[in-house]
Amino acid sequence: MILYRNILKNIPKISLLLLFIFTSHEIVSAEGGPCKDYGDCDEFKYSLNDIDSLQRGASTYINYCYGCHSLQYSRWGRVAQDLEIPEDIFFENLVFDKSIKSGDLMMGAMPEESGTWFGVEPPDLTLVARYKGDDWIYSYLRAYYEDSSKQYGVNNLVYPGTAMPNVLLSLQGNQRLVCKDIPLIAKNGGEKRDNDGNTIMIEKCGFLQVQDGTGSLSKEEFDELIYDLTNFLVYVGEPIKATRERIGWYVVFYFLIFTALSSLLYREFKKDYKK
Amino acid sequence: MSEMAGKLFSWLNNRLPIVNTFERHLSKHPVPSKVNFWYLFGALAAVTLIIQIVTGIWLIMPYSNTEEQAFSSIEYIMRDVDYGWVIRYMHTTGASLFFAVVYLHMFRGLLYGSYQKPKELVWIFGCTIYLAMMAEGFLGYVLPYGQMSYWGAQVIISLFGAIPYVGESLELWVRGDYYISGITVSRFFALHVVALPLILIALVFLHLVALHEVGAGNPEGVDIEAHLDEDGVPLDSVPFFPYKVLNGLVAIGVFMTVFAIIMFFFPEGGGYFIEMANFQEANPLVTPDHIAPVWYYAPFYTMLRAIPDPLGGLIVMAAAVAIFFIVPWLDRSKVASIRYKGIYSKIAITLFGVSFLTLGYLGTVGVTEIRKIMSIICTIIYFAYFLLMPIYTKYEKTKEVPTRL
Repeated sequence: MILYRNILKNIPKISLLLLFIFTSHEIVSAEGGPCKDYGDCDEFKYSLNDIDSLQRGASTYINYCYGCHSLQYSRWGRVAQDLEIPEDIFFENLVFDKSIKSGDLMMGAMPEESGTWFGVEPPDLTLVARYKGDDWIYSYLRAYYEDSSKQYGVNNLVYPGTAMPNVLLSLQGNQRLVCKDIPLIAKNGGEKRDNDGNTIMIEKCGFLQVQDGTGSLSKEEFDELIYDLTNFLVYVGEPIKATRERIGWYVVFYFLIFTALSSLLYREFKKDYKK
Repeated sequence: MSEMAGKLFSWLNNRLPIVNTFERHLSKHPVPSKVNFWYLFGALAAVTLIIQIVTGIWLIMPYSNTEEQAFSSIEYIMRDVDYGWVIRYMHTTGASLFFAVVYLHMFRGLLYGSYQKPKELVWIFGCTIYLAMMAEGFLGYVLPYGQMSYWGAQVIISLFGAIPYVGESLELWVRGDYYISGITVSRFFALHVVALPLILIALVFLHLVALHEVGAGNPEGVDIEAHLDEDGVPLDSVPFFPYKVLNGLVAIGVFMTVFAIIMFFFPEGGGYFIEMANFQEANPLVTPDHIAPVWYYAPFYTMLRAIPDPLGGLIVMAAAVAIFFIVPWLDRSKVASIRYKGIYSKIAITLFGVSFLTLGYLGTVGVTEIRKIMSIICTIIYFAYFLLMPIYTKYEKTKEVPTRL
């Protein structure tokens, strides 16, 4: 009981400490955001139990990305199994090199000398979701814009000067940086108004806008496609993630029961010396 | 059957001090009857050490200590080895929680004067364990051979270079190569899995033997040996087994619940337990944007950065750890526990705690002008806590310590 009373007594101190830790974490993540000119990265919430999304993501990856970016720590058969795709269908539709076997690693489809094509070798993306973060990928792939000063005619707000062309251009359409009139925000967070009560507008630039009719997908459809692709990369970064989070509940539950039983036992024994 | 078992047992016991040891260190080992939760972290540190050793053994099996395969063998463990991810996350979470419980255990020592006569040796063995842990943690962090492994090692090994005269050759000797390479990884592997664990186990053994010789303390700072019953057993004590073992079991339950929550739901610990950059293979040509140590070294890293001169920084950092060793001789107070010490001690330990946490926070973020000033102020407070201890503990007004728990 002393333990609990002590914990209870110390709750103000403990919560102060936790507050300190969390606020300091906030400060860490707020400084010089990883999404650069894009501002804050868009928040991405993975759903690894949505097998359909993962399947669509895998298909997009293999069709649009795998040509350059290997997934060298992942195995073909494992992806088929985890994504619940029967192996024959999987190999028929997604594996173009017929010499590949189920247990092979996804070593990429690029010839050796390809490193020189883009100035840098396209990186392996097995772990990209772990070192860049899913928010970053989700924002990056949607932040391309037309920039004729660049080699491939595009640049990226999240990763200025990126060496990768916008591979998904035909789907997304031609995205440009545009200027917009937006309400001027006062210090108190409300819109600023002039003496007649009209909202004061100012012109601000740097907004992304797709030219109508240039892409085969609508904005929503394209966002969905990138969602599925990012979701797949989260999966491939840690294939066990969904299982881990499922098993975790049982383990935590087990230790809670363990704690309860052992504290009952301790209480019983304590009667020996506590009057 | 039971007669045979009895015979076998007495055969063994005549040759090995089983009953004696059990009685001396467990069933008849007296420990203070009233302690608080601060006294449970030692047991939790022991639990974490065991977790680290057991998971470590299983990690060695599939791990490859070569430059080419170190990184990919970790991914092999995470993907292809059955339940390899459980073992690996237990080891990474265990490392952070080992430091967490040891820091709390050390703070308990400072709070309740657990270093005071006759416990000086217990304290010194403890400080040596902490020193060995710091080395062990650093060596282990290099093994996955990610970007942070490489660049972290680069920063730490180059510290040796700051030592005058022998620095450069020492650096070379530690690395085993002109730059960090597979040779460095394989020697760190040997040190991490054989040398330091042996040292750690030996030190933990000595820490416990010395503790059992002088007896455990209590938050009141009462000497329980002063009041004995007719059998010579302290009146304010209970046998270690089963009472304290059961108390420890409850603590283990709570601790393992926290352990499981982190390991299954937040294994990266928000980038503090496994840094994001370490999911990228070591690349000598690309420096990460921001080289930060893992959280448990952060306070000392901040001190290192606060001093502009590399050698000065190294000395300050080493002194910050070394100063723990002489605490038994810095404290001149008549009482052990913070409960009976005067106001100066209370202010001092609060400031120390706050400055240590602030130093830790500053070590994980980039440097700005204001943060630099903060690090210097906190470093000064950190050292002032220790260096002024002989003065404030001697001249402050202490409260009367009760004679019984």
